Amino acid sequence: MSDDRAEIAGLLAGRLALVTGKGGTGKTTFASALAMLAAAEGRRVLLAEVDAKHPSLPVIFGAGGSWEPVSVRPNLDVANLTWQEALGAFLERVVPSRRLVGAVLSNAALARFLDFTPGSRELVTLSAVEQHTSRYDLVVVDMPASGHALSLLDVTRSALGLFRSGPIRQRAAQLRDRILHIDTHVVLVALPEEMVVSETIETAERLGAIGLLSRPPQIFLNRATPPTMTEDEGTLLARLAEAPLSDAGREFVRAGRWEAAMEAASAAAMAGIEAGCGRVPIPVHAMAPDASPTQVVQEVAVALGRRVGRARSEVEWTT
Amino acid sequence: MDDLSPLELWLSQRRLVVCVGAGGVGKTTTSAAIGLRAARLGRRVVVLTIDPARRLADALGLDMLDGTPRAIAGAGPGQLWAGMLDSRAAFDNLIAKVAPDEETRDRVLGNHVYRHMADTLAGSQDYMASELLHDLVDDDRWDLVVLDTAPVKNALDFLEAPGRLVRFLDERVLGWFLPARGGLWFAGPVNVVQRLLGVVFGADFVTDLGAFFSDFQGMVAGFLARHEAVLARLRAPETGFVTVAAPHPNGLDVALWFQEELGRRDLPRAGIVANQVHRVAVTDHDARGALGEAVADLGADLPPTAAAQLLARLSMAHRRLAALATAQAERLRPLRAAASPGFYVEVPRLDDDVNDLDGLDRIGDSLFGRPLKSESPR
Repeated sequence: MSDDRAEIAGLLAGRLALVTGKGGTGKTTFASALAMLAAAEGRRVLLAEVDAKHPSLPVIFGAGGSWEPVSVRPNLDVANLTWQEALGAFLERVVPSRRLVGAVLSNAALARFLDFTPGSRELVTLSAVEQHTSRYDLVVVDMPASGHALSLLDVTRSALGLFRSGPIRQRAAQLRDRILHIDTHVVLVALPEEMVVSETIETAERLGAIGLLSRPPQIFLNRATPPTMTEDEGTLLARLAEAPLSDAGREFVRAGRWEAAMEAASAAAMAGIEAGCGRVPIPVHAMAPDASPTQVVQEVAVALGRRVGRARSEVEWTT
Repeated sequence: MDDLSPLELWLSQRRLVVCVGAGGVGKTTTSAAIGLRAARLGRRVVVLTIDPARRLADALGLDMLDGTPRAIAGAGPGQLWAGMLDSRAAFDNLIAKVAPDEETRDRVLGNHVYRHMADTLAGSQDYMASELLHDLVDDDRWDLVVLDTAPVKNALDFLEAPGRLVRFLDERVLGWFLPARGGLWFAGPVNVVQRLLGVVFGADFVTDLGAFFSDFQGMVAGFLARHEAVLARLRAPETGFVTVAAPHPNGLDVALWFQEELGRRDLPRAGIVANQVHRVAVTDHDARGALGEAVADLGADLPPTAAAQLLARLSMAHRRLAALATAQAERLRPLRAAASPGFYVEVPRLDDDVNDLDGLDRIGDSLFGRPLKSESPR
């Protein structure tokens, strides 16, 4: 637990936290919970999603979803890094003349061309993220699923290969340098499922190969089930599973085996990730099945807060 | 074979089935179970997955899945093949197919811009999925292709990817880069767009891109034709899109979104499969009544606390499972309406992991509403 404490405290004290993972693992939940917790610690936080057509953060916070950051609670702003606006901000940065920027943005064919130019979306997004880091203490990004997140993080390298000269090359080099030198963390959210565990390990390896980060990713195991079943209980349950039983009896055994399987899957995921990534993941336990997205975010924030010595009342907010 | 279930009848008339849905909803397993059932009904099937997980390869009895589809033993009386998408190779193949001659092909494949663009495009595995399926549906070896798409909302972008490519290469854009008729590349008066591009991208990139475009322009018609053919294939009556869902919030939202999106894009929606559904029949959550005696008998050699602890645990677990089943039923309700007039099927969560063809057959039994065993005992 003391390791968990240092890891979470490090995340909360960092400058940039990029949250990714396989689809459906709870990236948005963890990004939101980390942002909430850091805001509760008194840091000025921006929580951003990347060009979301159907923004998820407003579902949780009741506001946000636009390019301009919106305050959703003390110290916490929420934004959506939309492509058009990010492109405008990017061009203003790399092109010396406002008139030229206007000409580019107003040319529909050219805008389409930029949209499709390899890596331009990623570079523009990363640039917007980096610009926000100078305005906030901490920027938490709810990244796309791991495959797309990797190409986003790798774009500075591919842009340096593609653009042999010019302002985009300069900006890519600058971004690479900045992200390497500010306190950047990557958070991978995993689930106790075999497919998710193997993708998490692969993502961690590929992140290392990109070489953009000064530290390995922090991994959270979402929806983990703590081990509570004793060996004797397990033996007895296994015998029951083989025995002839009434339909009702079989249903109880099914319920028990289902929970035992969840415990086993969590233990296997913890061990698998530790073996594959060399780091022990931080488990966060399963929530009630009928909790709303907002409640789930609050509960995850409370669970993470508890590990850095925060009481529920310090983290929770009421609307 | 004349007593097929309605869903089996539907399957027997398909040439292409595309499964879409969020991650972790069992999309790959559903794709494999659909493919296996079609093979059981005597068809020659290939299942294409983008999922590199070992489990599917294991379940199908293969050492590995790769770009070359392999036949799976024991899936008769028809045939079941399985393969993974090798997107980069597929893209190079596509270039080779649409290139007018070998020289152009080699120049394009070696071009600085192409190599980067291919990575971006090839990274979009769905685009490659649409490319590959075009060839596979036409391949005489198979009469049904089952495609398992990427577990992301933008999985349907593959429908637009060729369009995006063609737009990238549209005539106006080409005009910025290509030499005026009879003139040399960039020899004419430099127009404002060229200047803009030079300022934004740097002169070297504009030069690289010009070289790329001059080779690529001859291929635009080829790309467009393939794009049209792929779209026609996806909209054909013998194609069916199956939305796969699971009763967790993300799985449901994404399924509803896909269902709408398929309609908006005029793609043939076949129906919705809801996986991993818990079912509970017993209303009394006390395990002692149903299991008290059995636990006492089977646990006679264990410490007495084990029996008491297990009974208490099973009672709790059953209570939780019942609450979960109720919450799931409530959550799944909107799916039924969204599936109409297509099919809506719930597949109960199996007690054991699916790790062989038997497991996939059992999934198929629930999915298709007809146990295979009564048809052909195994």
